[in-house]
Amino acid sequence: MEQLLNGLRSFIVQKNIHLSIHGHAYLGRSVLLRFLLFSAVWFVLTGSDTASWIIGLPAVFLAIGISHVISPYPSAPLSFIGVCSFLPFFIRQSALSGIDVMRRALCRQLAVNPGLVSYTTFLPEGSARIFFVNTISLLPGTLSADLQEDRVTVHTIDKNLAIWANMQNLELRIAILWRVKLHKREAL
Amino acid sequence: MMTLLDNVGMLCIFMGLPFFLTGTVGLLRFPDIYTRLHALTKADNVGLGLITLGLSLQADNLFIVAKLILIWILVLIASSASCHLVARSAIQKNIHPWVK
Repeated sequence: MEQLLNGLRSFIVQKNIHLSIHGHAYLGRSVLLRFLLFSAVWFVLTGSDTASWIIGLPAVFLAIGISHVISPYPSAPLSFIGVCSFLPFFIRQSALSGIDVMRRALCRQLAVNPGLVSYTTFLPEGSARIFFVNTISLLPGTLSADLQEDRVTVHTIDKNLAIWANMQNLELRIAILWRVKLHKREAL
Repeated sequence: MMTLLDNVGMLCIFMGLPFFLTGTVGLLRFPDIYTRLHALTKADNVGLGLITLGLSLQADNLFIVAKLILIWILVLIASSASCHLVARSAIQKNIHPWVK
């Protein structure tokens, strides 16, 4: 209960900061956009069944609240060129990763040589980094096992794969997709 | 035309099934929790993608296509997020990965 109250308190504080920076119009627009997005998801899933909104509407409002706490500042819209180049890349890589697992699982002698690799990402904190971590798990041979600030622990199914090159390639594509800059961490 | 689409759709669905099968084979054969996660997330992602594609080709209208694609995207998000959470909890419990 106390945790819940603390969460609520920090949410209100966050919201106040949010308001002072961007004003009410911004907040209203952000809530409206989220409302439209989540309602669209519910509508597509349930179709024309109006009775389903008895569950749907509270779910939509809950989703607006939770998404607002997790990510109060929506990122800039994705780059169109980025989406066009990322989608085919992603579909191709997904297919390759499925075939890769298929091959390794069916090999008479199990074809795995796993290990952990630590990778420091240059992507800024926020949506782009989260997207990066989630995409790693869907690419051939890699799985994101931990994220501590900018350090991603990657589990690889085969240490002989070109993990570093693949990560850098993915990172660059995501930077273009989310319109963010890759920034180097200051030397320690 | 309709039957051609139906047949191509059927082909896609049949192509998707082996991925689910090998994902399960991997789940049983792979040596530790991390490698098993590889088998589950990746093979099922492609398998579901192909089945979604196959069903979309057979769908009556675009609304159903949108619904199928949305389901695929939601499953993708859920599977990569839960895969990450399982792996992270394993790392934090100091479960060492199997090495050759």
